[in-house]
Amino acid sequence: MKKYQHLYVIIEHEDGKPVPVSLEMLGEARRLMDGYNKKYSADEKVVAVVLGHDVRRLCEELIFYGADAVIYADSPELRYARNLIDTKVISRIATSKELAAKFSDASEFVRPRYMFFAADSIGRHLSSTVLAELESGLASDINKLVIEDLEIKHEHKTKGQPMKYERTLEMYRPDFSGFLWTTILCLDNRNPAIERDYHPQACSIIPGVFAPIERDSTRRGPIVDYVPKFDECDLRVKIINRKIVKSTVDFDSKKAIVSFGRGIKDSPEENIKLVAELARELEAEVGISLPISKKPFAVSEGTSSTYMIPDRVIGTSGRKVAPLLYVAAGISGAMQHIAGMKEAGFVVAINPDEDSPIKDECDIFIKGRMEDVIPLLLEELRKQKPAIEVKK
Amino acid sequence: MANLNVAVIVKLEPDFSEGNVSYNADGTLNRAETKSILGPHSAVASSAAFYAKVRYGASVAVATMGPPIADSALQQAQLLCDADELYLYSDRMFAGADTLATAEVLKTGISKLEGKMDIVFSGHRASDGETGQTGPQTAWKLGFTFLGNVIDYDVDMQNRIVRARRMISLQGFYDVVEEVEAPLPVFIAIDPSYKASFNTVSQRLAFEKYQKEAKERAQNYKQYLKVFNAQQLGVDPKLVGLPGSPTIVYKVERIPKAKASRRAEVVDGTNREQLAKVATRMYEVVGGMVIK
Repeated sequence: MKKYQHLYVIIEHEDGKPVPVSLEMLGEARRLMDGYNKKYSADEKVVAVVLGHDVRRLCEELIFYGADAVIYADSPELRYARNLIDTKVISRIATSKELAAKFSDASEFVRPRYMFFAADSIGRHLSSTVLAELESGLASDINKLVIEDLEIKHEHKTKGQPMKYERTLEMYRPDFSGFLWTTILCLDNRNPAIERDYHPQACSIIPGVFAPIERDSTRRGPIVDYVPKFDECDLRVKIINRKIVKSTVDFDSKKAIVSFGRGIKDSPEENIKLVAELARELEAEVGISLPISKKPFAVSEGTSSTYMIPDRVIGTSGRKVAPLLYVAAGISGAMQHIAGMKEAGFVVAINPDEDSPIKDECDIFIKGRMEDVIPLLLEELRKQKPAIEVKK
Repeated sequence: MANLNVAVIVKLEPDFSEGNVSYNADGTLNRAETKSILGPHSAVASSAAFYAKVRYGASVAVATMGPPIADSALQQAQLLCDADELYLYSDRMFAGADTLATAEVLKTGISKLEGKMDIVFSGHRASDGETGQTGPQTAWKLGFTFLGNVIDYDVDMQNRIVRARRMISLQGFYDVVEEVEAPLPVFIAIDPSYKASFNTVSQRLAFEKYQKEAKERAQNYKQYLKVFNAQQLGVDPKLVGLPGSPTIVYKVERIPKAKASRRAEVVDGTNREQLAKVATRMYEVVGGMVIK
């Protein structure tokens, strides 16, 4: 049982500043491991893994935010993420008994028991290649985690026999519709014909889902230096240039956001125009639900490339927003979307279906189709506008 | 023989476009009523391969793992990229594969292709599984340099180097466009925003020529199609299908309805008086004052 120990959390940062999901992952890791330490064994740890250059201070911060120990690979070559060398370094760290021995009894250590990555542009790919290298299982885009003993009966894993799998990580991922939760498990094959261990049990975690723990600067823990070595072949990908771009979609400085979803379906082009008009009237930015970014409706090229783009997605697959006013037009309210807008100050939904989940997440529910409601609402807003401007 | 060989891995997926996709009353996908097509991200990957054909005269192979009907995805991809060869890896033994076991089949298939591959393309992610793992895992198993989120690329044919631009979104900070350089062979997971552009007259002529050829070929796609089962591919049965899959789907459940977080006041969308109040409230919320 001691072959697999600890929960390794792969930290992402930009020049030493952690991206928020890194602290969120540590927070959830801490909560899970506190429970684990009580229930199973006290000597397993949350281990933050950092690749970078001159980021020693970040390592201390990671302890303050819940890590028991930090393994830190320092090299100028690791300053920015590069899949090839990062995968190699993380895989070496994950299989190093020597490193694990610096913070625990690692006499039998083979690999981490669990591993967390961020489900973002870097972590999604990194988790895939690391787990391909480690030849174990990976579940992506997770928003709920439980560690439990499970009785499993599976045609291959257990050859149809019920068997107990201890300390199993249940990884929940919402499907594309946002209405179904699929629980993924990573299990050793215990079928005698094909016995094989599959560890670590790994997943990538959706940004913005879990809360970090409160920073505690009295926390202490070992920070382990690892000096990676590279050959020329490892360094064959060269970063020539790196340019910061700001999205033209501005959710942060606008007081209001008007979003639309599949409810535009009866006349997509016209309805998007109406939404855009409403947004202009309220000086709001336009958001969309995830399905819209898959361009499910035929609209003009200009409308499609302006509005049906991933940059505008609000929810767990896009941005989390908290405007003073949020208008959800033709959005049913899948969990993924709600997670992105629930912090809004005041929510108005426009929807013909009173049974849709958005009704439980709004302050005013305007019952009706957007093509009928928005023109009337626009008229009322315009009538009142002169009064506001005088007052200003 | 072309001196650039590219391959594309594609997937047959449910068609999520309106009118084709069918949802159950509870908002979940009705798979039986939803037809399948070449996935939209696979289509983008195919167009990236077509760019290699037009620009560099590349030879293009398209490959997929799936049931026999997945050959329709190959046909649709051929129409987009004028593929010279189509490969379907199909065997009951592959059923139930997770991303690692799928990558094993694709890796084995691509390694078997005639001529050494210089670039392998995949889409960003599938629209149904949405993991985005199969591409990078295939790349790693192949031992190819993996470049993800690629928004455009060019090949320095003389030096056998790829130059690519990648779009990385650093949540909580900003987006970064990164220019990278890597020697062939590489594996490119293409970003959904990718669009091939052909700027010179000779490129446009080549574009038209290959597009015409693609139409003719796709009509007779079976002539270009080779189907391999597990034995013909020579995969290790322990590494594919269920035995090669570390993960299982333990359960699928409806996400419990969260406790109502707000109590909505219901307004009749045809009632002007009520809408006027809504308008007032909206202005108040965003900080404008209304004279009552």
